[in-house]
Amino acid sequence: MISRVADHCFWMGRYLERAESTSRVLRVTSSLVLDAILPPAQVWTSALAVCGEDEPFLALHGSAATADGLRVTEFLTWDTTVPSSLVNSVYAARENARSIREVVSLEAWEAINELHLWLSDGGGRREWEARPDAFYRQVRTGTQLILGAVEHTMLHDNAFDFIVLGVLLERVGQTARILDVHHHALMQLPPDLVREETLWLSLLRACAGFEPFMKRKAGRVSPGEVATFLMLEPRFPRSLVFCLREADQRLASIRTPGDQSFPPLRCQARLAALERFLASRKVEDEDLHALLTHVVEETAAICGELHQELFEAPQRARPAPAERPWAEA
Amino acid sequence: MLSDYRALPGAFDELLGATDKLRATVEAMLAGGSAEDFARTQALAEAALLNQGVTFSVYSDSRGVEKIFPVCLLPRVISAHEWARLERGLQQRVLALEAFVEDVYAEQRILAAGAVPPEVVLGSAQYLPALRGLRPPAGVRIHISGIDLIRDGGGVFRVLEDNLRTPSGVSYVLENRLLSKRLLARAFEAARVRPVNQYPARLAGALRSVSPVAPEETTIVVLTPGPYNSAFFEHSFLARQMGVELVEAADLFVDDDRLFLHTIRGPKRVHVVYRRTDDAFLDPEVFRPDSLLGVRGVMRAWAKGNVALANAPGNGVADDKGVYPFVPEMIRFYLGEEPLLEQVPTYQCARPEDRTYVLEHLAELVVKVVDEAGGYGMLMGPTSTAEEREEFRRRILADPRRYIAQPRIELSTCPTWVSQGRCVAPRRVDFRPYVLNSAAGPWVLPGGLTRVALREGSYVVNSSQGGGSKDTWVLKGDG
Repeated sequence: MISRVADHCFWMGRYLERAESTSRVLRVTSSLVLDAILPPAQVWTSALAVCGEDEPFLALHGSAATADGLRVTEFLTWDTTVPSSLVNSVYAARENARSIREVVSLEAWEAINELHLWLSDGGGRREWEARPDAFYRQVRTGTQLILGAVEHTMLHDNAFDFIVLGVLLERVGQTARILDVHHHALMQLPPDLVREETLWLSLLRACAGFEPFMKRKAGRVSPGEVATFLMLEPRFPRSLVFCLREADQRLASIRTPGDQSFPPLRCQARLAALERFLASRKVEDEDLHALLTHVVEETAAICGELHQELFEAPQRARPAPAERPWAEA
Repeated sequence: MLSDYRALPGAFDELLGATDKLRATVEAMLAGGSAEDFARTQALAEAALLNQGVTFSVYSDSRGVEKIFPVCLLPRVISAHEWARLERGLQQRVLALEAFVEDVYAEQRILAAGAVPPEVVLGSAQYLPALRGLRPPAGVRIHISGIDLIRDGGGVFRVLEDNLRTPSGVSYVLENRLLSKRLLARAFEAARVRPVNQYPARLAGALRSVSPVAPEETTIVVLTPGPYNSAFFEHSFLARQMGVELVEAADLFVDDDRLFLHTIRGPKRVHVVYRRTDDAFLDPEVFRPDSLLGVRGVMRAWAKGNVALANAPGNGVADDKGVYPFVPEMIRFYLGEEPLLEQVPTYQCARPEDRTYVLEHLAELVVKVVDEAGGYGMLMGPTSTAEEREEFRRRILADPRRYIAQPRIELSTCPTWVSQGRCVAPRRVDFRPYVLNSAAGPWVLPGGLTRVALREGSYVVNSSQGGGSKDTWVLKGDG
């Protein structure tokens, strides 16, 4: 598979996941504001922080504007100068897909193109103004449709592996940031049982984890349980451990261990190490912020390695047969 | 819908000018439906193209705008009899053009014989002296051509220009056909139309036939300038339809005079490149030392016979508009035959007597720059202003070799859906059939791109300037 094509597949996956996550965060945040248990400015600042756009927003609109939900959602949804705005994520996912139209299935391409057209031809904007909740829901179902079409109509070859890898590594970062930001916000406040429970449930919803959590924990909501669930639950598809394990599987399908035609991947070793490290933690013994920061930074470093090893296309000279097999790291 | 349809004065109409039988077929096919029905079908077609991303790009801002190439579902119909004549004429023309390029980069017999003036060929910006003495794999150079035809007031097809470098548009032929079959199924069935969907397989076959290695070991790629190229959709479409990789120049490199692809597993050898990039951006070693674009060394690999490039570099010398007037001579010289297809009378400003005539008749002529395409750099005499004519007079006098002039040929018209008026009216069309040449000889796709000037009174069919397209139905029988 061409290195450039692998790169586009990976980023198509990442941007799709980012769009889905942003739409979910904005929808949940809009709902949380209505509960009025926290000042709106604090709730919206958290949403901005999850998207990594709190500082640009403050610089552009000032801190008073963080209380204005319309300003914040406009910024995170439509502003084309905001790198991770919803409209930019969908545009970038679609541009990546367009560049590799020959590997994306027709049905997946049509789904991604239709979502992009709806966001850019005024139809999405009208829905957002009239029914914001329905708008975010439609973006979410749009991205789910695309990934469903990818899974069920594309060849499950390396192109597919790279798309899914992009989705999973983006999701690790999103889940870690959502958890970190909420945890941080709660630590700033005096203890209040009702408020805490509302916030933790809202956090679960932002990660599509409400019902799965309830099933596993039979309704016992505590900060430690929620954090443990989002980080370590092996069967929840948005938990950190689940995503890292699946990403490892994808890399193993791109380069099976012992593959003679291909040197071992540093990114794969590093990913497996992060997964093992995380799975061995006990959340109650940890400084959660430090741990989540480590996960976010390590994931970024893994993406950097991946880029160097697989996408940058150095003119890798093929070694003489005598120099193989590769020593497995 | 056709009851009020009238031809334009002076123009040949593809429907009204057809034989009674063909005309009856088309009329029966289109009868019955109301304008309302048709408007709905037409809207469906446009929505399908947009959703599927069947677009070309116009870059006016950083994001660029993608537009669909507007399609009119009312087809252009060509009878089996007419087609047989066109097909023979196109094959003849491509064979002569192949022989010409081969000769120009070898012995130059035709120049020595005086059938084509040497200064016209050797003075062409498209003639690449560095290629002299090189013979591409299997000796084929014009693997893919698009020959632009128009039909004059008398209904005679005439070649307007040859496109022997990177002719585009065939993806629209295939996409338009899908729309016809989906949206006009009954009419399509009744008309008995020859299929066009074999094109990608034929193209892959033609490319494989010139491979330096065995067909089953051959790796073919389509080389695109990238997603920002206006024809990117087509590049991607062809790669997809043939099941081969779509690559950009940065994906390729040359080592030991062989061409390789960067893959996640290291280098992979490439044997045939269907390149959709201009010669100038093919290899910085040869064409533009200052350029970072292209694949360094690919011309060396080609010269060694290690990779086939389709179309071959240097073909531009044969589709140069200054060389065009001599194609009938080429047919006589190389094939010993009389040309089967007519051309358009052409004045060459390089010749003093032609130049004088052109400068005196600018208001009646169409003036073209020999190395421009896409409808750019033209003077449409009959609709021009005095200033435009003055500008062209200056330019012609400054560099006469770059200009030719032709009388404005009346284009034929086709019944065309006018969405604003919700009616059918005559609009001018041209026609681009596609010819594939391989080791086995030329093959003409039974169909082609009919481009239509959608604006009332317009002669300009280019997609960048208000043109649209129609499916072209080549019938199996004569109606």
